[in-house]
Amino acid sequence: MPYRVVHYINQFFGQVGGEDKADTQPFIKEGVVGPGMALKGALGQDAVIVATVICGDGYFNENLETAKAEVLSMVERYSPDIFIAGPAFNAGRYGVACGAICKEVKEKLGIPVITGMYPENPGVDLYKKDAYVVKTSDSAAGMRKAVPLMANLAIKLLKGEAIGSPDEDSYIERGIRKNVFKNELGAKRAVDMLVAKLSGAEFTTEYPMPAFDRVTPNPPIKDMSNAKVALVTSGGIVPKGNPDKIESSSASKYGRYSIAGVEALTADTYETAHGGYDPVYANADPNRVLPVDVMRELEKEGVIGKLYDYYYATVGNGTSVANAMKYAQAIAKDLIADGVQAVILTST
Amino acid sequence: MVKEIERAGLPVVHICTIVPISLTVGANRIVPAVAIPHPLGNPALSKEEEKSVRRNLVLKALKALQTPVDDQTVFE
Amino acid sequence: MDLEIQQRVKDMAEKYGPENVIVILGSSEAEAAGLAAETVSNGDPTYAGPLAGISLGLAVYHILEPEVKAEIDPTVYDNEVGMMEMVLDVEEISKEVSSIREQFSNI
Repeated sequence: MPYRVVHYINQFFGQVGGEDKADTQPFIKEGVVGPGMALKGALGQDAVIVATVICGDGYFNENLETAKAEVLSMVERYSPDIFIAGPAFNAGRYGVACGAICKEVKEKLGIPVITGMYPENPGVDLYKKDAYVVKTSDSAAGMRKAVPLMANLAIKLLKGEAIGSPDEDSYIERGIRKNVFKNELGAKRAVDMLVAKLSGAEFTTEYPMPAFDRVTPNPPIKDMSNAKVALVTSGGIVPKGNPDKIESSSASKYGRYSIAGVEALTADTYETAHGGYDPVYANADPNRVLPVDVMRELEKEGVIGKLYDYYYATVGNGTSVANAMKYAQAIAKDLIADGVQAVILTST
Repeated sequence: MVKEIERAGLPVVHICTIVPISLTVGANRIVPAVAIPHPLGNPALSKEEEKSVRRNLVLKALKALQTPVDDQTVFE
Repeated sequence: MDLEIQQRVKDMAEKYGPENVIVILGSSEAEAAGLAAETVSNGDPTYAGPLAGISLGLAVYHILEPEVKAEIDPTVYDNEVGMMEMVLDVEEISKEVSSIREQFSNI
């Protein structure tokens, strides 16, 4: 009897629609949909995808508790032996949804759970301990490489075979420590590693240091009524026409735009360049993403001292962590040089 | 981006919808927003009501900037 | 390849018969061109669109390929494509698309 698999995908891969359908509530279809076709092929005779749950990324992320419960009850009905979500590649909301639903299914149904993501997907750090996250490339172009890896890992888990190291089985390291026996004494292995390091030869650490990069919070503003506050956004709000041509995804730049004398953003003068959310609402009223109108009022009322004359914008859709860091460092430098004392950063 | 601005020495508050992501990227002051396509708005409301919602969120954000925090804090 | 365009290609192939349809691409870089070419010949490799799992086997070319250029009036080609011909990687794009065509197109 083949193992039973339930697959979870978002509205885009579920053939429902793009960002405009991100609010799709979960529903279930028998058999395979979209990437499930590839997964089916890769699983071969050992397992069959009995059903596919499709849910909008926006709906899931904005209604975490209800969405998890709804999806779980759908999954449960099909008595799966294993649950597979995605792959989500670098799509942030999709990755968070896949991770969250995997964790829920694992905890409530006690079955193995697998998903696939690009290492920079925020879903990775949040859920790598709860689900096996197969390492994928950063876009759906990598579907054909990702699916067989996920299928192989799935079969191993179903058959109860030993799961190898992250490298061997292509998943992202989970930070889980497992005691193993090695043939050589630890002392000898350590000395061998040291000798290799000193002589410039290659070596592999047995314990990679985790990268905890938390920054201590800065002290609060004491006198807001005299403070200069700046607005920054990753929601892609730009002057109409996107003069700097900030990309809708994987932004290679950020913009600095003057709002001196601007009372409020309007649909005629501004727009969003962000391709990762439904732009309708932001284009109709850009203040919904960059609240210039309210900040201007508060400035007039004396709640804040001054709204900085410039705002900074980029598109936070699949932007690499390295680039985001670079932009923010440059932006912060400018702000400090101009006497800005606090920042409100809005994201979608 | 929030983390780098903080690292440079400026207190920063992150208004965003997906709080778990904000926590993961290291924001210290977080204000949950309305929804992904309209974090500081709500097209279901009238213009006045919407502006009021937006104003409340911004005021919450300003309050967060005036509140000492030791660790990542979500200002509901 | 855009989901709407996938649907239109699918509809056209059904209406006119796949042997009577040729797709000419204009993607500005090789990876995108390759994905689009594969989509119309072997099925959407990202499994996101209407051509997921559907191999139409359509003949697919890129506007920058020499065999396409040869079919077009040189003045027209120069006006419409000349600029892009100068700045894009013609060789890489042509190689990518022709290799997909060799593998999957039914011609």
